[in-house]
Amino acid sequence: MYKKNIGLKLTTIILGSLLAINVAAQNWNIPADQSAKNSSFPFNASTAKEGEAIFTKNCVSCHGNPGKGNSLKSLSPIPPDLAGAVTQHRTDGDIFYIISTGRVIMPSFKDVLTDQDRWKVISYIRSFNKDYVQVLSKFDSGKSKLVKITMEFDAKTNQIKVLVKANETTGVVSLKNDEVELFAKRYFGKLQIDKTNRTDANGLVVFSFPKDLPGDKNGNVDLIVSVNDDSYGEVQYQKVFKVGVPTNKPSLTEKRAIWNVLAKAPVWLILTYLFCVFLVLSVFGYIVYNLFKLNKSSDIKNLKS
Amino acid sequence: MLDQLKSDTITSDLLRHIRLNKAFIIWMGVLGISFLVCIYAYTIQLRDGLGVAGIRDYVSWGLYISNFVFFVAVSLIGMLMTAVLGLIGIKWASPLARIAEIIALAFASVAGLVIISDMGRPDRLLYVFIHGRVQSPIVWDITVVTIYIIISLLLLYLPLIPDFKICYDKLEKAPKIQRTIYKILSLNWNNTPEQQKIIKNSIRVLAILIIPVAFGIHTVTSWLFANTSRAGWDSTIFGPYFVSGAFVAGCAAVIIAMYFYRYNYKLKDYITDMHFDKMAKLLVLVSLVYLYFNLNEFMVPGYKMKKFDAIHLNELFTGAHALLFWSTQLLGLVLPIIILLFKQMRKPLPVMVVSIFVLVGAWFKRYIIVVPTQEHPYLPIQNVPLNFKFYTPTLIEILITIAPILLAIIIITILSKVIPIIPIHETLEELEEPEKVGNK
Amino acid sequence: MSEKEDKPKNKTRREFLQELGYVGIGAVIGGSAIFAGINYDKRKRQIDRIKVLTAENELIEIDRKDAGKVVKSKQEVLTYLQKEGREGIVGKRWVMVIDLSRCRNARKCMSSCQSAHHLRPEQSHITTLKMQESLDTPPYYMPKQCQHCDNPPCVAVCPVDATFKRPDGIVLIDNERCIGCRFCIAACPYSARYFNWSKPLHEQEDKDLTYNVELNVPQRKGTITKCLFSADRVREGKLPYCVGACPNGVFYFGDENEDAVTNGTTKETVRFKKLLEDNGGYRLMAELGTNPRVYYLPPKGKSYPFQDKDREEAEEHLKG
Repeated sequence: MYKKNIGLKLTTIILGSLLAINVAAQNWNIPADQSAKNSSFPFNASTAKEGEAIFTKNCVSCHGNPGKGNSLKSLSPIPPDLAGAVTQHRTDGDIFYIISTGRVIMPSFKDVLTDQDRWKVISYIRSFNKDYVQVLSKFDSGKSKLVKITMEFDAKTNQIKVLVKANETTGVVSLKNDEVELFAKRYFGKLQIDKTNRTDANGLVVFSFPKDLPGDKNGNVDLIVSVNDDSYGEVQYQKVFKVGVPTNKPSLTEKRAIWNVLAKAPVWLILTYLFCVFLVLSVFGYIVYNLFKLNKSSDIKNLKS
Repeated sequence: MLDQLKSDTITSDLLRHIRLNKAFIIWMGVLGISFLVCIYAYTIQLRDGLGVAGIRDYVSWGLYISNFVFFVAVSLIGMLMTAVLGLIGIKWASPLARIAEIIALAFASVAGLVIISDMGRPDRLLYVFIHGRVQSPIVWDITVVTIYIIISLLLLYLPLIPDFKICYDKLEKAPKIQRTIYKILSLNWNNTPEQQKIIKNSIRVLAILIIPVAFGIHTVTSWLFANTSRAGWDSTIFGPYFVSGAFVAGCAAVIIAMYFYRYNYKLKDYITDMHFDKMAKLLVLVSLVYLYFNLNEFMVPGYKMKKFDAIHLNELFTGAHALLFWSTQLLGLVLPIIILLFKQMRKPLPVMVVSIFVLVGAWFKRYIIVVPTQEHPYLPIQNVPLNFKFYTPTLIEILITIAPILLAIIIITILSKVIPIIPIHETLEELEEPEKVGNK
Repeated sequence: MSEKEDKPKNKTRREFLQELGYVGIGAVIGGSAIFAGINYDKRKRQIDRIKVLTAENELIEIDRKDAGKVVKSKQEVLTYLQKEGREGIVGKRWVMVIDLSRCRNARKCMSSCQSAHHLRPEQSHITTLKMQESLDTPPYYMPKQCQHCDNPPCVAVCPVDATFKRPDGIVLIDNERCIGCRFCIAACPYSARYFNWSKPLHEQEDKDLTYNVELNVPQRKGTITKCLFSADRVREGKLPYCVGACPNGVFYFGDENEDAVTNGTTKETVRFKKLLEDNGGYRLMAELGTNPRVYYLPPKGKSYPFQDKDREEAEEHLKG
């Protein structure tokens, strides 16, 4: 981290903010419903502190410390100082959207940080704004248990059909116009299948499944469906389907090769080596035998001067 | 018929040097003390790691490996002199065979030790035998060097059996232990026709076997480099290039040894001007072959100037290694060829001086082959200290490099103090039956 | 190998590592194992209670005499880790994709690698190079580490099987086997191998650790060290150290058999083949036939400019 005098810092913050307001702000194109999102828990000193830890790990290398004006100037556009006006003028939902999706050189943190963690980062950012008044989300977390998801595979059309309903006391309700995402589980993360779709009036959403996605050796793929409803919250459902290409590739060290272990050396090489060594050893044997013979055959009669 | 008197003179002439004298003790003392200093340097390396040498991650093979290649190269002369010249019946070479064989044995066995000095974990030497992979050229190298040492030892020993008997008979003043050893080693030699036949057959078999083994030892050594895809090493002619270079170095080493034996051991009548003349001609012959391979090695990539070959060649021809490169090529190869074409330059002293140039040139040529290539890998050398980019040997490293040279000289000195360096039995035999030997 | 075989093996590993945890003296977990907190039970005065850290990072309290039963010797632990390290993870073929258009030479990959593997400042299994193909083409930053070739020249030349290729594609170096001949350094066209020329950085701190071939820690004087694709992390289902440390989304890592790679920064998972196809993926020095498992995406439309101060160094390599 480099230190500069305060004047320069302030100038940078102001300039940075102005530039950002003029240029960058319009480009985020944040949907209205996203903009209106709010945290379900109140921001306090402890959430800000947790947020700071997450911020230090993920954000500080580009944005610098809020209020310090030490963001990374070599980048284009210059990442704004998050204590600055441009960020603080945004709604919580805006900031949540920006962290989640990322844009240009800003990476997306959707798969890196949980919803909770992202809100905590916002809590930390807001701690630099004395005028900030939090608006809490009306959402009730207990309701997510009521959601019932069913998933089936249509082999003819190669489609995955997901039906999202909720078991309310009043009866079964279809969740309409909800964001639904389908993922295939991979070793290090979730691979999104098709694109994010919305449920129709019956709570139904259809994903077309690729024909070339590798599964395990039987073609099984672990599928995860994730529903995001404004009042029920986020619900996930997991099920294994035989929808993938059966994949059972041999290990990379199976064949004989120069680089493989001794037991898997090329046959010609082993034979050549052994042949040469055997040849030499037999000659040595012959010589040793000769030396013994020599030792034994000192015939006195043929002794020369 | 053999003149008994002449025979006695020859025997006593050729046995004269087998005794302790002041000069030998002083010489061995100097060698021994210098060697101990070098060994001390090696203990520092053992304690602190290979980092005490100048080699680093990019140039990771330096003086030690150059030295190893040099030692293997010099040892090849044993094969040329005893096997090739012997089998095709070149008569003048037979008195020099033992000198060549002593050099071969000393250099080949020391080469094995040089490799140990380059190991990061010499304590794990046995792993090569326990966990050896037949695919690794190092395993081939160790196999073939071991075989070569054994054959060289046998080729030194077999013709010595009759001489050991002579030593036992004639050296009555020698210490008792020494004489006992002569007796044991002479294996009841009685010069019976059957014994002669056994020795001749054995030598002949070994002389044939040593030819592929010797080619193998140096070809495999060249493959340590040629089997990698590095500009400057990635060459299909590295095998013959190394082998031909080895004969040059070996010839020079034999000539230098001949000169010192001739004057120190008073063997003017046995190592004659004729021998120097012939050896000089042989040196010219092998040098020409080597020059031809040099031409191939540099001309072919130099014509195409592929990216990394070009960087490598520029570095050799005009860059940081230019002085060393041209010195080795001109002083160590081209000039010696030209000089030795003149008859008056093929007298013992000038031949010996030229040979010193050739031998030193041969050493630095190994350095030129080993080091510059590593200074220019395919990807840039960045984010490391400056001493990683350019190789500079350290004092400790130089001392550890000198150690094997001293050790080889010590072995040669000791061997030539306990065995006749001109084969007595053969010399007498040739006097007796010149026509028979000639028709071989 | 089938998956059936895979499952019980994993179980064994868990059991083994649990037992390992009880060792508590630091065979594997080393410094982090806690051997403190000996409490006196009033009713059974003779029995010591000890707190130990399990492999799952849980602090548990057990009778010391029970701990004694499951203590594995250092040699047993080593043998287990060596065996596991050579077998790799069944059914996988690890690949890495490096997006050159995103690298800004932040060097977080280097520092995380150095701290994970206890390396000296001049040693880093991964290094970011300032590259330029010719004087007329633009310079760019290129993270470079072991390419984990499918036809590895370094493994071919190793005389003692110290460096080896695993069934899952990772090329590892066994520090307990290496004789320090450095033939592999000579053979590697990517200059991806490093040597411990003198005593390792943390020799003293690491002296009680059992050697883990998948982490190559403790480092040993006189042996090779190199990129391991963070085999220890991968075994735990985590992305390699460098991949996770990058702030700019340069690295993707995953399993070729699953056709999926995960970005270390965004944790986004994408199709491996499609990523290469859409961005013109290539491999370093393909003409050498080494078949690397590391793929590069060309520095097209760079997110970050190449800095002027680095230009000279990038050009240096072009001069002979």
